[in-house]
Amino acid sequence: MVVTSDLRTGSVFKVGNDALVVQKILGQKTGRSGMVTRFRVKNIVTGQTSDVALDAGEKFESIDLDIFQMKLSYIDGDTYVFMEQETFEQYEIAKDDLGDNAGYISVDDDYPIEITFYEGKPVGITPPILVERTITYCEPGVKGDTSGKTFKPATLDTGIEVSVPLFCDIGTRIKLDTRDGTFAERVK
Amino acid sequence: MAYGIQIMLKWGARGGEESMDIDILCKVVDNYGDIGVAYRLARSLSETPEPPRLRLVVDELLAFAALDPAVDPASACQRVHGWEVFSWKEGGAESAAGEAIRAAFKERRPRCLIECFACGRPEWLEAILFDPVSEEGCLVLDLEHLTAEAYAEDFHRMPSLTRSPLVRKAMFLPGFTPRTGGLVMDRAFAISLERARSEEGRRGLRRELLARLAEPGSPAAGAEASFWFAVFSYERDYGRVVAELSAFVGDSPILALVAAGKSQDCFRRAWEAASAPFPALFLPFLPQTDWDAFLAAADFAIVRGEDSWSRAALAGRPFLWQAYPQEGRHHMVKVEAFLDRLRPHFRPEAFATLAELYRAFNGRDRDAPEAAGGEALLPVLRRRDELRDGFASFAASLARGPDLGPALLTFLGDLV
Repeated sequence: MVVTSDLRTGSVFKVGNDALVVQKILGQKTGRSGMVTRFRVKNIVTGQTSDVALDAGEKFESIDLDIFQMKLSYIDGDTYVFMEQETFEQYEIAKDDLGDNAGYISVDDDYPIEITFYEGKPVGITPPILVERTITYCEPGVKGDTSGKTFKPATLDTGIEVSVPLFCDIGTRIKLDTRDGTFAERVK
Repeated sequence: MAYGIQIMLKWGARGGEESMDIDILCKVVDNYGDIGVAYRLARSLSETPEPPRLRLVVDELLAFAALDPAVDPASACQRVHGWEVFSWKEGGAESAAGEAIRAAFKERRPRCLIECFACGRPEWLEAILFDPVSEEGCLVLDLEHLTAEAYAEDFHRMPSLTRSPLVRKAMFLPGFTPRTGGLVMDRAFAISLERARSEEGRRGLRRELLARLAEPGSPAAGAEASFWFAVFSYERDYGRVVAELSAFVGDSPILALVAAGKSQDCFRRAWEAASAPFPALFLPFLPQTDWDAFLAAADFAIVRGEDSWSRAALAGRPFLWQAYPQEGRHHMVKVEAFLDRLRPHFRPEAFATLAELYRAFNGRDRDAPEAAGGEALLPVLRRRDELRDGFASFAASLARGPDLGPALLTFLGDLV
């Protein structure tokens, strides 16, 4: 069984006989009763997507999946092409199917990432919990503000926008938590 | 919805009429707020023109019995007000009562299940609900906590999932706007509000309450014309509040009505330390409908949590809400969201005074008898007439919004 609180972008779980992959985490709310999270999920077989809200305790059947380590080889428009390092076999995943994870990976990364296969078809990826990315645009850094409590928007080398502390600058290398897309720390 | 299938709700025969089957699940996390809402919802649903057949599964029957003396805390299966009430815990036990509970739910499988505050479902009910040989469906609603935050509108009526397409699930959020599920307006509370609307009715309601709960001849017994100040909060140092109430006595005689629970001893300590500067009535634990009557009759109330908060909001009288403390002072987000809902109903100066009080009273990391804030109650009390108009306007806006019980039935009907 897998519980809602374990789900992240790329997770696959079962509803009846259908396999669903989490494409995107749309938002969360906290209250006394715990977290409720809005997900965009895709039915792997039918291709249909839905937005659903799941409370933290709901349990789902997990699925036996094949997982392989591959490197992102290149990006062709909205298609991400991954290469198996020993056989050099290539697999394509649409950007939409990668969801938020598309913003965490780059062809410049020198490490492989996990590709999830369901019935022989690649359906998603699981990036490392922490990934390093470079800021390509943000407002100038504020010297002396090292509290890390006040944030500003920043664009990363993958094109996504995240919130970073005021002390960050263009060119700063940061670590991102891929579970929720939050700033973790500055790479020293 | 990709995973939905058409489910026929089971309509049970009752007195020749057809009625919907609804099961309400409630886990008492702490205090009485969770069961308070579940109980009020059950009463409200039973007051609709076509009342559903209700079963309640509750994990703390003792807490339920405190709100409604008709409930026997020692009975794992019982009938109360026409509802079937079951013990959550006993349902999983290897006992005669446990077997009887499971048999009752196997015989009449759940068709509509309301999970109060994402309380989940007991294992024994999971086994029935997800029985692989069954092809019968069920609708599950996650009834969430009340919040004034904007997300209530976003999450309300959103589809959810369970591990079976036969068990469909959706979210239902109470709230203060028309795009939420609204607040529960049960008949008993509506009657108390109606009585308190006119000065004469209000005096009559107060006389009845004092006759039952004040000691004859005590200062409280004849205080029906005083300024009624109700107190029901989490633990805190009440020294400052008592001091400011003492100063307010010069403006108006006061009767403090102090509810049983965490704040009662705190208030009593401060009141005694100040040499009992005004009459106070320290109430025993009251059934829900009696406490509702006090709130309806009060001139000002300090309320906490959810159920009393919603009653105070509907009562249309000035009140101070104390939010449940959350890590990292996240409760202040909820307080600010509520202030944003109140703001349009007040003039800026009056609102600023009120907001200052809310922020000071709620600005704490945890609750404790020594937790003190810089709340300024006196300026708020001195603006009482102006504030009463604002709160009345807010309550009127809520009355125009959804009534949660009927709205919930409508939503269930839409899902079918």
